[in-house]
Amino acid sequence: MKTPAAPTASAAEQRLLSLNRRQFLRGLGACVALPVFESALRPVAQAATAPAAGAGLGVTASGAPLRMAFVYFPNGAHQNYWWPTGEGADFKLGKTMQPLAPLQRSIQVLGGLDHKNATAGNDGAGDHARANATFLTGARARKTDAADIRVGISVDQVAAQRIGHLTRFPSLELSCDQVRKSGRCDSGYSCAYQYNLSWASPTTPMAPETNPRLVFERLFGAGAPGERQSNFQLRQATQKSLLDFVIDDAHSLQRQLGRNDQQKLDEYLTGVREIEQRIQRAENFGALPDPRADTPAGIPANYGDHMDIMYELLAMAFETDSTRVSTLLLAGDGSNRAYPQIGIPEGHHYCSHHRNNDDLMEKIGQIDLYYMERFAKFLQRLDAKKDVDGKSILHNSMIVYGCGNSDGNRHTHDNLPIVLAGGGGGTLNPGRYTKLGGQPMSNLFLTMTDRLGVSGLERIGDSSARVKAV
Amino acid sequence: MLRAHTTLSAPPNRLVNLPLALCLAGFGLVGTGAAAAENRAAANYHKTIEPLLSKYCYDCHGNGVGKGRVAFDEFASDAEMLAKRDLWLAALKNVRAGMMPPREEDIGRPSETEINTLANWIKYEAFGTDPANPDPGRVTARRLNRIEYRNTIRDLMGGFDFNSEAEFPPDDSGNGFDNNGDVLTVSPLLLEKYLSAAEFIVDRAVPKVPKIIRERMASGRDFRAESGEGNGENLNVKRAVKVARRFTVEQADSYQVVIELEVRGSFDFDAGRAKVICRIDNEERFVEDVAWSERKTLKHDLVVDWKPGAHVVSFEIVPLDPQGQIIAAAVSPSLPTTSAGASGGAATGADPNAKGATPGRDRAFRPSATSVTVRVASVVVRGPLHPEFWTTPENYTRFFPDGPAPADAAGRETYAGALLRTFATRAFRRPVDDAKVAQMVALARDVYAQPGKTFEEGISRAMMGVLGSPRFLFRVEAPVAGGAGQPYAAIDEYALASRLSYFLWSTMPDEELFRLAEKGELRRDLRAQIGRMLKDAKAQAFVRNFTGQWLQARDVESVPINARVVMGPNAQRNRDGRIEFDGAFRRMMRSETEMYFEHIIREDRSILDLVDSDYTFLNERLAKHYGVPDVTGDNLRLVKLPADSPRGGVLTQGTVLAVTSNPTRTSPVKRGLFILENILGTPPPPAPPDVPDLEEAKKNFEGREPKLSEMLAVHRANKLCNSCHSRMDPLGLAMENFNALGSWRDTEVGQPIEPAGELITGEKFADVRELKRVLRQDRKLDVYRCLTEKLLTYALGRGLDYYDAHTVDEIVDRLAREDGRMSVLIHSVVESPAFQKMRTQTPGRHVTLSVPPTSEIHP
Repeated sequence: MKTPAAPTASAAEQRLLSLNRRQFLRGLGACVALPVFESALRPVAQAATAPAAGAGLGVTASGAPLRMAFVYFPNGAHQNYWWPTGEGADFKLGKTMQPLAPLQRSIQVLGGLDHKNATAGNDGAGDHARANATFLTGARARKTDAADIRVGISVDQVAAQRIGHLTRFPSLELSCDQVRKSGRCDSGYSCAYQYNLSWASPTTPMAPETNPRLVFERLFGAGAPGERQSNFQLRQATQKSLLDFVIDDAHSLQRQLGRNDQQKLDEYLTGVREIEQRIQRAENFGALPDPRADTPAGIPANYGDHMDIMYELLAMAFETDSTRVSTLLLAGDGSNRAYPQIGIPEGHHYCSHHRNNDDLMEKIGQIDLYYMERFAKFLQRLDAKKDVDGKSILHNSMIVYGCGNSDGNRHTHDNLPIVLAGGGGGTLNPGRYTKLGGQPMSNLFLTMTDRLGVSGLERIGDSSARVKAV
Repeated sequence: MLRAHTTLSAPPNRLVNLPLALCLAGFGLVGTGAAAAENRAAANYHKTIEPLLSKYCYDCHGNGVGKGRVAFDEFASDAEMLAKRDLWLAALKNVRAGMMPPREEDIGRPSETEINTLANWIKYEAFGTDPANPDPGRVTARRLNRIEYRNTIRDLMGGFDFNSEAEFPPDDSGNGFDNNGDVLTVSPLLLEKYLSAAEFIVDRAVPKVPKIIRERMASGRDFRAESGEGNGENLNVKRAVKVARRFTVEQADSYQVVIELEVRGSFDFDAGRAKVICRIDNEERFVEDVAWSERKTLKHDLVVDWKPGAHVVSFEIVPLDPQGQIIAAAVSPSLPTTSAGASGGAATGADPNAKGATPGRDRAFRPSATSVTVRVASVVVRGPLHPEFWTTPENYTRFFPDGPAPADAAGRETYAGALLRTFATRAFRRPVDDAKVAQMVALARDVYAQPGKTFEEGISRAMMGVLGSPRFLFRVEAPVAGGAGQPYAAIDEYALASRLSYFLWSTMPDEELFRLAEKGELRRDLRAQIGRMLKDAKAQAFVRNFTGQWLQARDVESVPINARVVMGPNAQRNRDGRIEFDGAFRRMMRSETEMYFEHIIREDRSILDLVDSDYTFLNERLAKHYGVPDVTGDNLRLVKLPADSPRGGVLTQGTVLAVTSNPTRTSPVKRGLFILENILGTPPPPAPPDVPDLEEAKKNFEGREPKLSEMLAVHRANKLCNSCHSRMDPLGLAMENFNALGSWRDTEVGQPIEPAGELITGEKFADVRELKRVLRQDRKLDVYRCLTEKLLTYALGRGLDYYDAHTVDEIVDRLAREDGRMSVLIHSVVESPAFQKMRTQTPGRHVTLSVPPTSEIHP
């Protein structure tokens, strides 16, 4: 039988590729001592005892996990109500930050952080899309409606790529904004910029999960309490058996296609590799954490409830050490959501362009407060939970709460409204209002990745230095 | 190109140019043709185009004046001039739409001939488009979006409905649509979901065994009382009753009867007691003594030998007194047995022990009366039980058309190969090669060769692999090799079948499309196929997805609008007695828009009906909301509008009026922008960053609350704002007679609405009726062009580029010649080179490759 030469060669090549891949995974398993859970709800200071992982990577000095999260609220903040009075340790919280009062010693209000790449520059309108896209990337989003979307890798992904192997999930992307506008988004910018905070590469956004049920099932397995572990294992086994097949398919396609399609396949293969690694890690991590709670039903009708449950899931993910890196996009910048539950029938975006109208400004303040109340509740929960080293989870976290727009009315991107909550495992100095005097927000990112033990980073986005005073 | 002898104003003659074009393309490969074409383009620029620009444009865009950062006389070189494709594309659009030169500059309008000269030079010389063989562009391999995924699974997996909207994250959209290959990215999270979905879907859709024991299930409702009212759903233990159900079997054999009864007591204790006697064919099978308990399930698993024919399963309630003695008097077939009646009625009538039972008092006053009831939760008859009588599971032959697998290993493998080849061919939407089949068989065999696993489980595993493959998740088109000098070639027929079916159905090709593609006859049969596809119910997906995004009709289901504020406290209330923009009302509006669009397709009406017509689709509630008389009932139907009605056309439908509004008020700017973007196709550039406060305008009104229109007028007085707002505002203000929910109004803040205005191109209108007429009559070419661009973008899954200008023009010309009929538009899009062809793999394919890529777009 005459067999064409090409398929034979390709089959051999495929075998080789898949062999290399297995070797790669074996190698990964061998050189990274993966942490083992002692019990489901008790994260152990495993990473610190893993010499190959690098001293202090993703852990505090006392050996507890160190977490990092970024929470985004849309459309800037009512300036007068946001900023505290005083400075340093002697400061008084502003009107919309009152819910944080009980936690004042655990948070820092940061002033003087800017995102120059969110300003118009030569790109014209589109401040909302840019605010969102630049927030964690520090990069300028390419102005395009579809072709060649590009911004930059985001700080959470920089961290996840370095410390992600320590936990079941390298990172967790969450959002409470599940309704998208059809057609076009902001002023010629692709919608991808407005609905994603997290970017795995300059061209691949990490689509966030909005459905609490799906977040829960991903973290803790599907089914009723008690059945989740076996469901999870069954699923892992099946997925594992499929991976070689789909990878071969992707490789054979890759050889066939043009450049832009290659990129799509690269995205695909990256995803597959991540699943492989996760399966590998799961074997090392042992049994799934069991939060002994019912699976949430889905997306609650009330937006406040939706936020609460997402915060709750994020807290659970941190407590069970399922991940140490997360982003939560409460709503994409430019969100025009109405807040009838607090008596505001107008849309948020509409109100934010208050043109100094007192009534609208007051409403913006109320919306800011509404968001802040939920954030404060989340922090309180983290503050009440003891970590493995006896400190609180909040103490062992770095949580940024902020927006890429400062004054929603004028679309400014300097002096961004930023709160940095948590003690960073004792490396941060909370309880202060710190004026940082106009430097890139990206400088803060470097400071945070330093604390995570991520070494050798020269810059993230437009960073120029590290923030010293946090 | 070699067209210097033709006059530029005449459209190039295709027949003459075809051999020339091929010839030129050949030269392009060796590298001299492109340079020669550029030289000619430059020569014609200086000869013919420069004088036109000088006459009409230099006042603002030349002689040192560079308004909008555009100057036509400051190119460093001819090469730079030709490279500015975005500039030329903008010039083409603006001149043709009548926006340039501006009317107020008193320069005069270029003649038709002059405009054609410019247009032809731009398209055929600056862009280098060969009209006989235009560049079809490049479509990035498109991932199925959520809707396409759901529909494809439905058609591939025997009707299985997977709720992808709930399970997958939302897709991004680009160029206005969520089927754009460039923005349909794959994140690790999404891939994880794809694999889980593959498992979930196959697990539920594909049978795991070749034969199953037949099951018949009956619930309480199926058990009827032998005399009087009532059924097995709710049996009060204080009332003697017998309910029964007949099961008919064809085969004499053993059957399993699985019975589940549920005993439920009221919250408070009740003394009711009864015997429940179960009989099968009048033979007593079990007796249960039931009494109050909060909730208790009784299960019985019986095996019976049945002959062919009917068999009766029955349950009899025999009420007992608290001592366990039968209460003879309880037999009272006339008593109601509904749940409400049963608790009260039986208690008063028959049970002296019921708490607080006082005969003679009105039952309605004692809603908390206690009770004990029995429910026949389910009776399942399984059988015949002997394996030789087992039946084939539902959908089995769809996935295993030749029945159960043979026993021998070789036979199984052959069968697996055949099955999986068919399945993967459909899933990948094109034939698969032998290597792929072998891989799938290996995957299946790894499972079915394990002890305890079935052949079907093995096949299922391979199917999961298929659904997780990039060839399923992406619409991949096989590259076509170009012959000598052929930069573009027709896509193969499988790719064409997919393009067609995802365009018109948002799902995979059906059997007929596959069959035609396989025989290579689809292209030949295209017209008939489009007709067939549009008549199919699946074309609803096209209507829904296209209008959902082009007109943002999707958003009407979620746009936050406060009906109390917009409609006022005395407005029409909904069924719940509330003034609310409720889900039902939102869906009505969306349906109106969809039915309207569908009507234009089905009746092959002019697409200008989208702008203005004398009909729409209404039901009573929507008609009342619009102020259209004499429409009754809930069903939306075609309604001919009264002669003076402002309705008709999409712009006056609730959908468009609501999605362009803010939660408490209208937005003339948004509405104006909507018309420019989606009807006229001439969007203004985005607002500059430092927009002056609209509130500043209030100062001019000395404390009086100005109307929105008045504030906008002050806004427009600012030169910076005026250039765009003079285009948007009049359009939006003409629609001010419709409030944020689309109801008619004559005043705003107590003052009359002044809808009269003028388009940037000079057409005047007194109100929205006249505006629609102006759009339909005077700006019809703009409407044709806009819709052509939108539909082409949707059909291709990519944004349009300079090389599409020629294709768009061709379609617009055809629409103008053929009364703008919808079929002409749809057929032209499908027949266009962009839809039919792709760039070939041969390097050096662009005749204009030597031109460097254009710089950043500046609108």
